[in-house]
Amino acid sequence: MRVIRHVAVNVFKESVRDKVLYSLVVFAVLLISISYLIGQLTAGQDMKIIKDLGLASISLFGLLIAIFIGIGLVWKEVEQRSIYALLSKPMSRSEFVVGKYCGLVLTLLINVAVMTIAFYALLAYINRVVDPAIKLSWPAPAVDPAMLKAIVLIMIELMLVTAIALFFSTFSSPFLSAILTIGLWVIGHFNDDLRNIGGVLGSRAAALIARGLYYVLPNFSAFDVKAQVVHGQAVPLGYVGLTSLYGITYLALVLVGAVAIFSRRDFK
Amino acid sequence: MDAISTESLTKHYTVGFWRPRPYLALDGLTLQVGQGEVFGFLGPNGAGKTTTLKLLMQLIYPTSGRAAILGKPVGDIGVKRRIGYLPEQPYFYDYLTAQELLEYFAALFGYAPAERRRRATALLDEVGIAGERRLPLRKFSKGMLQRVGIAQALINDPEVVFLDEPMSGLDPLGRREIRHLILRLRDRGCTVFFSSHVLADAEALCSRVAILVNGHLATAGKLSDILAFKVRGWELVVSGLTDAALQQAERQGHVTGATRLGESRYALELPLTPAPEQILAGLMAQGAQLVTLNPLRDTLEDVFVRQVSGASDPATSLGAGAPRMGPA
Amino acid sequence: MRTVITIIALLGAVVGLQAMQERRQPLGLPPGVTGNVLYVRSPEFMRRAALSYHALLADVYWIRTIQHYGGTKLAHDANKQYDLLYPLLDLTTSLDPYFDIAYGFGSLFLAEPYPAGPGRPDLSIVLLQKAMRAQPDKWRFREDLGFVYYWWLHDFVTAADWFGRASELPGAPNWLKPLAAVTLAQGGNLASSRTLWTEVFNTADVDWLRTQARFRLSQLDATDEITALERVVQAYRARTGSLPQSWTDVIRAGYLTAPPADPAEYPLQLDPASGTVTLARDSTLNPLPMTQAPATPAR
Repeated sequence: MRVIRHVAVNVFKESVRDKVLYSLVVFAVLLISISYLIGQLTAGQDMKIIKDLGLASISLFGLLIAIFIGIGLVWKEVEQRSIYALLSKPMSRSEFVVGKYCGLVLTLLINVAVMTIAFYALLAYINRVVDPAIKLSWPAPAVDPAMLKAIVLIMIELMLVTAIALFFSTFSSPFLSAILTIGLWVIGHFNDDLRNIGGVLGSRAAALIARGLYYVLPNFSAFDVKAQVVHGQAVPLGYVGLTSLYGITYLALVLVGAVAIFSRRDFK
Repeated sequence: MDAISTESLTKHYTVGFWRPRPYLALDGLTLQVGQGEVFGFLGPNGAGKTTTLKLLMQLIYPTSGRAAILGKPVGDIGVKRRIGYLPEQPYFYDYLTAQELLEYFAALFGYAPAERRRRATALLDEVGIAGERRLPLRKFSKGMLQRVGIAQALINDPEVVFLDEPMSGLDPLGRREIRHLILRLRDRGCTVFFSSHVLADAEALCSRVAILVNGHLATAGKLSDILAFKVRGWELVVSGLTDAALQQAERQGHVTGATRLGESRYALELPLTPAPEQILAGLMAQGAQLVTLNPLRDTLEDVFVRQVSGASDPATSLGAGAPRMGPA
Repeated sequence: MRTVITIIALLGAVVGLQAMQERRQPLGLPPGVTGNVLYVRSPEFMRRAALSYHALLADVYWIRTIQHYGGTKLAHDANKQYDLLYPLLDLTTSLDPYFDIAYGFGSLFLAEPYPAGPGRPDLSIVLLQKAMRAQPDKWRFREDLGFVYYWWLHDFVTAADWFGRASELPGAPNWLKPLAAVTLAQGGNLASSRTLWTEVFNTADVDWLRTQARFRLSQLDATDEITALERVVQAYRARTGSLPQSWTDVIRAGYLTAPPADPAEYPLQLDPASGTVTLARDSTLNPLPMTQAPATPAR
């Protein structure tokens, strides 16, 4: 555990010094400027767009970090051979992989937390300056705690994407890993369509395969409750819980796979 | 208990994607290194030295055979606590400073923060880069990185140290410093296993050596034994030697080679017999003067080259057939 | 070995959780509410957002269209709405203006009266006009437009006009011109209807369309049968001086060999008082479309 902690902290240090966290500044500035402009144009009526933009940015920036750092996590150490010295220290290969994973998750957590705080601060400000009459037309309050449910699910989604990127990083080059990870993410978002495609396909065998894939491939669309919270529709806690459990189980599966592959590798 | 032992350690690679061909990197290496020894693991490039070290560090897995360190199979985490490793052409994390890197590695061993700092500072001092410890590693030269590499290998006061080309990238001053360091380690009771193709270092430091050629162990044993019978002649430097005297000595078979160093000044190669004093007396009788007289020994290089080019010398009582030697 | 067991166990857990989730979906949202199916409503925005993948995205929306239509049609909800059908078709065809099957599907099913469809022939017209703007040289769309006026709105003058215009385009089948003439002269008639539906049946790419066309053709067959049987009944009356009381009478008189059934195998009903023949009340071919008298459009 100690080893995992130190490896994780090291990954975090790297991301900080890598100026990844400067993307936060970009996010904050972007969000604030656009929201301000929208506020000017629509006299505060389009709270929906501001919320949509905020949630989408948190999700998108998080995704970019998860993928583009995730694909290099293991590969870079192997390629640069810094892993030789590291593995001669008292740690197992699994501790190395898990440590790297936790480090990136820590980075993501801090990113998402800071973006969330900035986002809520902006919403609070808008809430204060806007005409109360307009507020009545909003389907949900500006500073809506229900959005946290969406953000929690976004975080779990990011953790799963990170695990997948890390998995590919244990054996393939960054370019290929990026394509595979992004590919899985896209397919996972159309998972619902995969379920229904059976109704449109001709052959029964193809429909069965599609159904099988629907169960096995990561169902990323389940993590997306952004539309619901923005419209003020109730998202039951049971759903958040079940989906989070799904996400965590799936990422555990992916990590076990990553450790299995990494443990058997020869480092030439 | 041996510090290091291997038994028929073999590594095959398959090379090529479409028509994979087997490539034998290491073939049946059986070796023992006793505790407290300084052991030189020698061989030309591509002989399998780095492969062996990686197998010992479990960076790669053997195709067959076994290896053990301090009595436990390689990869044992408890043993990793007691060893240190310097990889070939080390590379670390650009974004850390030297001090941070060492403290990071120290943390992996479980030392408390104060202890980590103390060790890091002390080691960086010992390898001679105390002044640069707060510099990010991306600014380090090759030689400086090498020193950092040695420092990190020693962070835990290891009982066995594995050094892959420890002198590479160092200037002559640096090499001398590291040589002294290795001797200090030996004095502390540490076992040092290093691979090199700088034979002079091996000659100066090692008690035992092994020579690896094309994945096979060509010879192994005490250095003194390998070099024992190697006085093969003498080198005599004289001045005031006339051409006539030289020609006469050559005709008599007293001189097997001559190099002109200057005006009637020659470096002569004398055979083993007759005794050199006799030959010298004969030349002095003709007016020559002695400058120096030295025995001509096989250097480790000569042994090395001979092993590599495949010739086997019966004078080496340790041919490829009997690689095993007991601890020194 | 332990790793393999762990992986299998986790995989099982993942599939199990996915199945649990599926059973609880949708998110407790009331039916008919949009959910995730149509997060973006504006076709303009969608086309831009899709970058170069609009054709692919059109396919995705097409699949959702069919799923929405089929799902709603099969649902037993009293309040079911087809409210997404037009927006989905609009998105599909905005992303891919050459998605001909979508136009065809839309023109047919948008006009289908409730509960088999939203009953909006006006939306069919809008969709087909969009099709004609995108592909002005395709005779098919003009013919489809004429079809909507003919079958759903019973506006035979406009229908004839569009059939005529369709016949002028290259590739138009040679029955279009006479169809235009007949429609103009006689309004709706069985032969024209049969021609149109046969065309749909022959060129349908999707099961839905083919099934629908077959259904309509069966209805036309039933209408033909009914007409023929009513003539038999009149002949019977002419011979015997009174209307038959049941099919048995007609069979005994030698006009039929067995009680008649409609193409869906439901027995046809004879009304002894008026001599009219109708479908069985539970026949799946109900209600027969009226091809002669103008009916009020669905909305």
